[in-house]
Order: sequence, then C-alpha cells, then structure tokens
Amino acid sequence: MSLKVGIDFGTSNSGVAVYDGQHVKLLPVDPKNVLPEVIKTVLYITRDYRTYLGQEAVETYYRDNVNRQRRYVKQWAGEIDVYGADMHYVRDIFVYVDELKPGRLLQYLKTALRKDNYQGTQIFERYYSVGDLAKTYLSLLKQRAENVLGETIDAVTLGRPVKFSEHPEQDHKAQETLRQAAHEAGFKDVDFELEPIAAALDYEQSMTKSQNVVIFDFGGGTLDIAVMRLGDSKSRKVYASGGVDIAGSDFDRTIIEKRMLAHFGYGKVKHHPEIMDMIHAIPDWMALPELGTPINRNILEKAIQAKIAPVRLKALESLIYNDLAFTFYNRVEAGKIALSNEGATVISLEDKDIALWELYARAQFESDIYHYLIDVEKVLLDTIAKSGLEPGAIDAVVKTGGSSSIPLFTGMLARIFGKEKVKESNSFSSVVAGLAIKAHTSSVVE
Amino acid sequence: MSFTNKIDEWMKEAEERPESAVTIVRLIARRLRELTERDEELLAENIALQNGTRVEEYQKRITHLEYQLELLKRRFGVDGDTLVELPTKPVESTTSSMLIYNAQGRVFRVELNPRAVSGGNADTKELGRITGEMVTDHEPPRLLTVPSNEEIVLLFTSGRVDTVAVSDIPTVELGGAWDWAQAALPNEPRAGELLACVTPFSHLPLSDFFLQVSRRGCVKKTMTSMAQSILSNHYIGKGALQKSDQPFDLMLCKKQERLAFVTYEGHLLGLDVDDLSYASEERIRLTATDYVVASFTTRPNESLLFVTQTGKVVHRESKSLELPKSANAKGQTLIPPSRLEQGVRFMGAASVKDSDSVVVLDATGRLKLYEAESMTGAGSIAADGLILSIGIIPADSLKRAAS
Repeated sequence: MSLKVGIDFGTSNSGVAVYDGQHVKLLPVDPKNVLPEVIKTVLYITRDYRTYLGQEAVETYYRDNVNRQRRYVKQWAGEIDVYGADMHYVRDIFVYVDELKPGRLLQYLKTALRKDNYQGTQIFERYYSVGDLAKTYLSLLKQRAENVLGETIDAVTLGRPVKFSEHPEQDHKAQETLRQAAHEAGFKDVDFELEPIAAALDYEQSMTKSQNVVIFDFGGGTLDIAVMRLGDSKSRKVYASGGVDIAGSDFDRTIIEKRMLAHFGYGKVKHHPEIMDMIHAIPDWMALPELGTPINRNILEKAIQAKIAPVRLKALESLIYNDLAFTFYNRVEAGKIALSNEGATVISLEDKDIALWELYARAQFESDIYHYLIDVEKVLLDTIAKSGLEPGAIDAVVKTGGSSSIPLFTGMLARIFGKEKVKESNSFSSVVAGLAIKAHTSSVVE
Repeated sequence: MSFTNKIDEWMKEAEERPESAVTIVRLIARRLRELTERDEELLAENIALQNGTRVEEYQKRITHLEYQLELLKRRFGVDGDTLVELPTKPVESTTSSMLIYNAQGRVFRVELNPRAVSGGNADTKELGRITGEMVTDHEPPRLLTVPSNEEIVLLFTSGRVDTVAVSDIPTVELGGAWDWAQAALPNEPRAGELLACVTPFSHLPLSDFFLQVSRRGCVKKTMTSMAQSILSNHYIGKGALQKSDQPFDLMLCKKQERLAFVTYEGHLLGLDVDDLSYASEERIRLTATDYVVASFTTRPNESLLFVTQTGKVVHRESKSLELPKSANAKGQTLIPPSRLEQGVRFMGAASVKDSDSVVVLDATGRLKLYEAESMTGAGSIAADGLILSIGIIPADSLKRAAS
C-alpha cells in the first residue's frame, strides 16, 4: 500500500500530516521554524534557479537581498504596434532590469491560484505559471516530508477552500491547476477535501456523542464555513457549506491602507501623482516589489531634493529599494496577531533611512475591519440558514485558522451561538490533521 | 488622520478595556525613551556641527583619502585622470625585487629575473653571495620580496619610520658576489638606532591596520587612518612595553586576517587581528632566552613553513594554527623539549603556497633558492652553514615579472 499524506496548502502557512488509524502525526517539515510542524507558504527562487521554502526561504532572502546593491540595465522586452489615423508604426519596448537581483521571493501562492488576472510571473529567464509555482512548492514539501518519514509518498489529500472563487469556472480551474501541480510534483494519486470538513474530522476525534457543529475556518486567504453532523462516522453529514474571500491578508491590507500609508505622506502631503501611484501600490504585495525602477528612484530623489516631505519619501525609497517589503508586511501581520491577545501593540520598522512607529490599539483595529465583520456575519448566517438549522440547534462552533482568534470574530460567534459553544482548536494543525485522517480513510477504502 | 484623533482612539481602547491602558502607557513610555535618546544624539551632532568638530573630522578624512590617492598615483606612476581608468588596465606588469637588509640599514636590491630564478634546476639555485660581516648587532640580515614599483617603510628600533621607493635603491647583479660595504644605505640609522624591519606600503588604502610586533612578543595595532600623521611625524612608536625590548616587525593587515608569530625556541602563536588591542600588549609568555623570529599574516590555501638553523623544515596546515584562550599564552610547541635541549632553534617561518619559492640565507652568505613544495616534501634543506634567515618569493610575483 502506498503512503498517503494530508497536505494543507495554506495561504500563509502549510503543513503535512500522516494518520496511522489511531494517531495523527504532524511532520516537522520546517526544522528552522519556531513550530517545525508549520511551514510558511513562501518560496524563494534564486537567479541560478535554486529553490528554498519556508523559513529557509525567508532567511536566504534576507541574507541575499536586504540593503543589497542594484545595477539596472536596459533590456529589450518586445515591440508594440502603434496605430494612428492613417499611420502604423512599430516601436521597441525596453525595460530596466536589476541584473544584481539574486532571487525572487514568492508568497500567497494559493491566492494566486484563484486570481483570474494572475497567470504567472517571469523569474529571470524562465516563465513560471501559477501551476509551476505550486508544483515547485509542493515537490519541495514532498521531499521534506519523505526525508522525515524515510519513505516515498505517492498519494495526497490536499485541502481546498469551500470556494476558491465565487465564479464556478474559476473555482474549477484553480482546483485543477492545483491537482496538476501535485501530479507534477510526484504525487500519483491526488484528491481533495474541503478545509472546514478536514477540520471537522480532526475535531470529531475528540467527540463522544453526535452533535451539530459549525466549523469556522478563518485563515490567511479565505473564510470557510461548514455546518455538519459529527460524532459518528456513519451518520456524519454536511448540512451546508459556504465561504467568502475575506481573511487575514485583507486585514493586513486594511491596516496598511488606514494606518501605515500616512508614514509615507499619504493624506498629509500633496505628492506628485507618480509618487501617489507608488504609495497606492504599497498595500499590494504583488505590485510593491515591481516599483524598484530607476525612473521611480529618479522621481523620488527629485522630490527629496525639492524638500517635499523628504523624511517620508526617503522612507518610501528605503522601503522600495532596500527590499524591505517582505519585512514590512511581516511587521504588519505580527501587529495584527499581537492584537488577538493584547489591547495595543506597536507596528514598527527601523532600517536604513526608514523609521516607522505606529501604536495600534485593538479598538482601532476593530474599527478598521468592522465592515468585514458585517460581511462575515452575513455569510455565516446565510450558511446556517442554508443548513436548515436554527442557531440554537448548533451544539458547537469550532474555530480554526489564524484569523479565527481575532477577538472581534470570536465575540461575534459568542453573540450568535453563546460563549460556551465556541470551541478552540489548534489554529495551524486542525485542517492538516483532518486531511491526514481523510487520506488514511480513502487509502484504506481503495 | 491627525495625532489628536489617534490619541482619542487610544483613549477609547483604554475606556473599553481598562487593562489595555497599561500596555498603551508602557509602549508610549518605551517610545519616549527611544526618542529622548535619539534627541540627545541629534543635539550632540548639532553641537559637533556648530563648533566645527565634525568639519575637522571630515577634513581629516578627506586629507587621509587624498594621501591614499597620492600613494596610489606614485605606485602606479600615473596621474589622477589615468587612475580612474586603472581597473581596466593590467596593473601587474611590473618586475619584482628582493631586498636583503641588515640592522645597520644596508640594503641590497636584486631584480628577480624569472628565467634566472626558475630556469634550470631551481631546487638549489644560488641567487648570489654576500661577503662581509653577516650578523651585525646580534641581528641576522632579513629578506623581503616586493614589486619593483613598491613604496617601502623603514622602521627603526627607536620607533622612527621613513618611506623609500624601491626603485630608488640601486640594484645588484643576480648571481654575483655582493659586499655589505657596497650596499645601498637609503636611510642611515641615527645614533643608537638599528633598522628593525622593512615593510611594503602601497596597499595601505586596502588595509585596516598597521600591526607591530616586538622581539618579546608585544603586539599593537594602529588604524591606517593615522597613516598621514605617522608618516608626517616619521614616528609610529616602538610598540614594546619593556625598555630592553625592541620592534621586530611592522605590517599592514585587514580586520579579518590572522596574525601568526614564531619564536626562536619553537613556539607558534595565532591571533585574530580584529581582537588585538590598540595599545601594546604582551601576547606570549616567553622564557628569558626566547624571542620572536618571524611574524606574518596567514591566508587561506597557504600552509605554514618553519625552518631551523640546521635546515630542518617543519610544515603545518594553516588551519592547525590555534587561537589562544588566554591573553598571555605560551603558544603551540613546534618541536618536542628533547630536541630543544639538543640545541635546535628556529630561524625563520612564513605562510607559503606550494608554488612559491623560498630563499635561504646561510652563515656563509649564500642565498639559495628552493621550491616550497620540494622543501616541505623533503623535510630539510642542505645548507653550507647555519641558516640565518629565509624569504619568500611568491609565485605570482615571478609570473608578474615574466609578463
């Protein structure tokens, strides 16, 4: 019998687990991480196409990139046809390429799967489609898991959100891209399980009687909800499932937009439109690294020379040109996480020419993301209604995923279902544990 | 959002969850302390700018850079405009010279002709013969190979220094017989002074420190930013703690390098340059009869070569060099005590590559050339008399001369 594992390919973090029929074993696939069983969904590809993932990717990226030298060279990128009223001419297009760039760091790979406007990216001389990126990550993760287990893994149960996308076509396409990537990564047998259902399978292990359970899986990329009858595998039933594209990365983006952009002069200084475009790109993790062109630097330097908010613009220049984007997003995310336990935290970033400091209180955070609470509550109540159950008929609400620890949402669940019904589960391991159980069950059936 | 609005939001948080007030106050207090420290630094900087201290500092730095530029110009024999283009030009097309000098300041310069040096049976090639008194003032002559367009510093036992261009020293014929009385005297030692050592100087801009080693194992480093002041005052100091001690060696080195020195009675000590003190410090515990006979910086891919007065060659990997745990150590022992009792003593040591050549000066005045690889392979060299000194001819200097 071939070995089948469960893989939670999460937006922010991933994990691999195996189930032997009695115990779930979470595999320590990232020994460098604080929790070795959790691996960041981060991929770093160097100029010579060496690949790193997880904490090693982050460390290599920091070592090679932060405050490094840059040298831009003009490179022919293609040509465009220009049509006028009665004329037509062809123009060469050139781009400035940083030839000292040692590698590319890629994150939110799962989000890329469901973006219909994101097909892939050019990494030095090679083009990586979204599937290629997922394949690269999964094959490295497979290798790590095989090293831990000491045997070959042939099959996998992959987790997937209830909805990759609101559009069924895009949703199907995302799953098939992920399936193809897993096959190319070396898994002969690939199947999927909805993430909230996987979390339910893990929770079911601790149940002694049948109950109506709501799984509230609120992670980095999506919110997934499942209303289920759990406790007895024979009478296990999914009443309804639902989801929405709201999650941790949206909160990070909101924090940046509402709290951090002011540090670069947004809303305080009348900037040049091109500088405003740069500032608007800061919350976008895909756009920010692309801003580092010589033209933009020239614009910023000119404004600094003209003494237009020089400290703020120097900070913007440092953020873009010292490769601090990843650090910046991490600090924002860390601030958000801290607010789950603390009443206030500081989001700060201090490096060459940049010194950001923002005291951020939970009341501010809750006010900033309040509109998301309304949407989340609506999706939750809609899913409950779809299940045909009344909120009072729900016996337990199981929260999983990092964002489920945000007090604003915990409060909402307590308000709707009652505080005693809201159950904690391991935010990072319940989905992968459930996927391992599913993988074991399906392999036994086969 | 204005700062007042932010304060209102923090107040709201404190009202909603009073326990947050403590966190907010703690975070603000920490920030206040950081800002106070930064404010103090900025005020100090402001004072330095206003009273001209900072200006003086920058002026000194500019002067130092100008001096380094001048040195580079002299080394490459070009003007400033040409210097800018230097990286694209072959800068190594120059010959090498071997300097043989004694404590009285006498110097022979031999232009190294690659054919004569490496042609034929290079194992025991004789470079020349010196006549006259070989050991003066209890100091044997010393050997140094430098590019012919190098600038050298002469360090005297009083701590005085002077610079000379190698090309200004007359050459003697390779393979001939040379008498000390006819040797050049580029800078005569003053009364009571001896010439302690000669050191190449043109890579000053690429170095971090001057390093001085005394006969009794005192080590002192000085930042190269002091070069202008040292050279204009013609004084670097003795770098010794005891009155009876005297300077032995001066070299330029970088932060990351490792210094090694070897004593007459066969002790080897390694030191990290970065960890050395700016004040003279005795770094090795020596017996009354022991003293330093060689000091050098080690490089990766090189090995350590030690030669006794009878021609025995000890060869060690450079990674075998241990760093002492205490500030005043005995060092590693190169030979067992029984051999020491038999009278074996070390006369020279160096960091070498297999492709380098080694020049050995014996008590009869003969200067013989050996290949480092064959020397270490054989484990000994045959000399006509007791060995007085060794010098290294780096393989790349011969290649350079050949080109």
